[in-house]
Amino acid sequence: MTKRMTFKSVSEMPEIPISMGFMDWNKTGTWRAQRPYYVDKTPPCSASCPVGNDIVSFIQKIAEEDLEGAWRVLREENPLPGVCGRVCFHPCESRCNRSFLDEPVAIHALERFVADDMELRKEKVKREIEKAKEKVAIIGSGPAGLSCAYHLARFHYPVTVFESFSLPGGMLRMGIPPYRLPREVLEREISLIESMGVEIRTGVTLGQNLDWEELKSFSAIFMATGAHLSRALGIPGEKRRGVFQGLEFLKKINSGKKVTLGERIGIIGGGNTAIDVARSVLRLGKKAIILYRRSKEEMPAFEEEISEALEEGVKIRYLVSPIQIHSRNGLKRVECLRMKLGEKDETGRRKPIPIPNSNFFIEVDSLIIAAGEEIEFSFFPKGWERREGILLTQRDGSIGVKGLFAGGDLTSLQRTVAHAIGSGKRAALAIDCYFKGRDSEETLRQILIGEGPSISIFRYLHPDERPMDSHIVRFEELNMDYFEQARRQKESKLPPKVRIKDFREVTSTLPSSLAIEEAGRCFSCGTCNGCETCYVFCPDASILKREGVFLREVDYEFCKGCGICFTECPRGAITLKEEAK
Amino acid sequence: MKKIPIPIEENLGRGHLACAGCGAAIGMRLVLKALGERVVMVFPASCWSIIPGFWPYSSFRVTAIHAGFVTGGATASGIRAALDVKGDDETLVVVWGGDGGTFDIGLQALSGAAERNEDFIYICNDNEGYMNTGTQRSSATPLMAWTTTTPVAQPKENPKKDIMAIMADHQIPYAATATIAYPEDLLRKMEKAKGIRGTRFIHLLSPCPPGWRIPSEICVKISRLAVRSRVFPLYEIEKGRIYTLQEEKRVVPVKEYLKLQGRFGHLSNSQIEEIQRRVDESWDRLQRKARC
Repeated sequence: MTKRMTFKSVSEMPEIPISMGFMDWNKTGTWRAQRPYYVDKTPPCSASCPVGNDIVSFIQKIAEEDLEGAWRVLREENPLPGVCGRVCFHPCESRCNRSFLDEPVAIHALERFVADDMELRKEKVKREIEKAKEKVAIIGSGPAGLSCAYHLARFHYPVTVFESFSLPGGMLRMGIPPYRLPREVLEREISLIESMGVEIRTGVTLGQNLDWEELKSFSAIFMATGAHLSRALGIPGEKRRGVFQGLEFLKKINSGKKVTLGERIGIIGGGNTAIDVARSVLRLGKKAIILYRRSKEEMPAFEEEISEALEEGVKIRYLVSPIQIHSRNGLKRVECLRMKLGEKDETGRRKPIPIPNSNFFIEVDSLIIAAGEEIEFSFFPKGWERREGILLTQRDGSIGVKGLFAGGDLTSLQRTVAHAIGSGKRAALAIDCYFKGRDSEETLRQILIGEGPSISIFRYLHPDERPMDSHIVRFEELNMDYFEQARRQKESKLPPKVRIKDFREVTSTLPSSLAIEEAGRCFSCGTCNGCETCYVFCPDASILKREGVFLREVDYEFCKGCGICFTECPRGAITLKEEAK
Repeated sequence: MKKIPIPIEENLGRGHLACAGCGAAIGMRLVLKALGERVVMVFPASCWSIIPGFWPYSSFRVTAIHAGFVTGGATASGIRAALDVKGDDETLVVVWGGDGGTFDIGLQALSGAAERNEDFIYICNDNEGYMNTGTQRSSATPLMAWTTTTPVAQPKENPKKDIMAIMADHQIPYAATATIAYPEDLLRKMEKAKGIRGTRFIHLLSPCPPGWRIPSEICVKISRLAVRSRVFPLYEIEKGRIYTLQEEKRVVPVKEYLKLQGRFGHLSNSQIEEIQRRVDESWDRLQRKARC
C-alpha cells in the first residue's frame, strides 16, 4: 500500500484515479494562529512548603509505584522527610487544590510513608569522597543545622556540627515528645546525614568549651542555636518552687530525667509547647488543665494536636488569664481573671480583654508555664543586629559579618521545623555562593519556588532540567472532567486510652496500598506527568513523545493550533499563546 | 491518573486538510488506530472527500475508496463480495459516511445493505449538517439549530432524525453511539464491532467548530457535554433489541451544552426549556427500552 507504483504504458494504468503519495509535504503548521507549548507551573503545595519539597514529583513517583524515585525526589530538598511527615504543620495541605473538589491530598502521610519504607530497605548512601578545601562549622544540630549540614555535604564541603547536648537533634529531640516523633526515626535520619561525611560533635557549647577563636579555622559558620529560653509571664509567684518552665520540662522528660509532679497539673499557654506539655503530663499518669487567655480559634497550636489532646483527656479552660500564683502547703492557687475577646491585634487574632473584678482561683498541684520561647543572646558578639527578639539576616541567611550565616528559630518568628529546614537550605546555598564568589541574592532568585521564600536545590544543581514558571496554579486552571471525588486516606491512630499509657507513637504509617491510592488523588497541578491526554486528542497527530527532560513536544510543522491539548490538559501543564504575526 | 491505552500506529498521516480542531479528524485517527491495517475504507461524499488531500496525494496509510454520495452501503457490499470471492475474509470493510450521506442521501443504500445484513462496519460521522459545503441543514441537524438554510429568523423546525432507532429496526447485530470525548469507549466499541459478523453501525458524534460556531479548543469539551447533558447518550443495541445504556455520573442541564455554541445563540429561555423537555423525554424512552 505504501510502495510507489510505476506504469510502463497507459494500458497498465488503473481505470480509476489512485493516489501515489502522502500529504506530509503539506506543512499545516503554517495555518496556526495560536501556539500551545509545555511549561510546568508551580503547584500551590510546593509554593507554600517552607522546606521547598517537590511535592508533586514525589507523589507522582509513588503513584507510579517507584518508591525509590520518590525517596530520591524528597531527599533532593529535605534530609528529614520522616521527621517532617510526622511533625510538620503541612501548610501544603491547606493550599492543596484538591480541597476544592473534596479534601486535600494527605501529603504529610505520603512523605512519611516514603521515608518509613526506605528504612526497611536500608539504603546505602554514597559518602562524598572528593572534598572542597573550605571547612564549615555549624552551631546547633536542630533541623536548621542538620539541613544546612546535609546540603553543604552534597556540595562537597567538610562540615562539623557542634551540639551542646549529649545527643544531636536539637528541638526535634528536646522539644518534641516521642509519641509524635519516635527517637529511632530521628536517629535514622541523622545517621544518614552523618554517613555522608558530616561530623557531629556533641557536648560542645559555644561560650563554654568552644570559643569564637577556635571557630576561626573554619571558612564559614552557620549559627542555628534555636530559641531555648522560656518566656516569663511577669506575674507574682511564677518563680516559686513547683512552678516549671514548659520547655525545661519537656527537655527533662525527653532526655529521660524524672520530674516530681503532683496529681493535677496546670499549664499556662496555648502554643504547641503547651499542648506537648499537657499530653506528656497525661502520659505520666497525671491530670492536665490548660489555661489559655483567648478562645480555641486563636490558639497558635496546630489544630490536629489540639483535638488529639482533647481526645486524650486534656482539659482546656479558655479566656482565663493568671495574674498571681499563690502557694500554700505545696498546693498552687492560681488567681485568674476572666477575659473577653476584643478587636483583632497585629497577629490577626482577637485580643483578650480582662473583665474587671472577675477574679477567681484555680487549684493545682503543679504549674507549668509554656508561654513561648525566646533567644539566648548572651554568647553573641556585640554588634549583631537584632530586632523583636530575633537575629536579623538577609534573605540568604547572611548577618552582615563575612562568612557568618544564621538560621532556624534564631532568625525567625515562624518557629516550625519546616521553616528551620528551609532556612538551613538557603544558608547552605548562600555559603556555596560565598565560597564561589557568586551573587547569592541573584542565585536565590533564579531557584525560588513560586514567589519564594523557598528554594529548589534540585534546580540549583540541575539548571538544565525542566524549568518551572513561577505562576501558581489555581483550581480553575485544572480540568475537573478528568477527576472524580475520592476519599482522603487517613492514617490510623491508637485509641486515646491506649495512647496515654506510654510515649509510643500515636499515628501509624499508611499501608502501601492506601498510600498508592492516595498518591493517585494528586492533580499534579501544572506539572506534565505524561498522562497522554494531549496525545490522544490531537486531531493532527502533532504531539510527539520524548525521552528526557520533557515527556512531550508539540510538532510545530503540523500543529494547526486548535488548542484542544490546552483545554483538555487535566493539570494546566500546557500554555496557549497567540502566534506572533 | 492512568493513561488511556491506545495503539501507537498513526494511519491518518499528517498534512491532512481538516480544519483546526476538527472533531472528525480526532475520530478518524482513533478509529483507524482501532481498525489496524487490514481494512478497506469506503467514503461516500462528505468532508472526508476533501480532508485526506488532493490527487495524487492522500493522508491515509490504509486502503481508501471514494464513492458516490448515495452509494456508501452499496459500494461496501460490492467490495465485501469481491473480497469474499478472493477468499479474503480477514480484511474488514468499513464505510465512513457523514450525516448527509447516512441520514439523508445514503439512507436507501444503507437500509438495503442492513436488511441483507451485509458484513461491514458502517460509521456515521455525525456533525449535524452539511458542513463541507458550508453548513446547510441535514436531517441530523438538531431542533432549533441555526444553519445557513435554517437562519436565525427561521431556525430548524424539526427534531433530529433518530437514526439509531431506524438501524435497530433493521435488527442488525450491533449498533452503538460514541463520541470523541470518550476515546476508551470508542475504542472498546470498535473492538466489539470488529468481533461481530454482519452489519454493524457506529453513530459517532463529531463536533464541527466552524459549523457549530464554537472555538476550536472546546471541541472535545462540547462532545463531552453532549453526553453529560443527555443530548447524545452513549448506548449500544444488540440484535436490534438489547439496549445497554451507559449512565453518565455527572449530568448537566442542556443549557450547559447549548450556551457554548453559536448555532444555538438565538435561543430564548423557553426554547431551551423546550429542548430540555424533549431531551428528558427521549432519555426516558431510552431507559424504558433498556429495561425491556
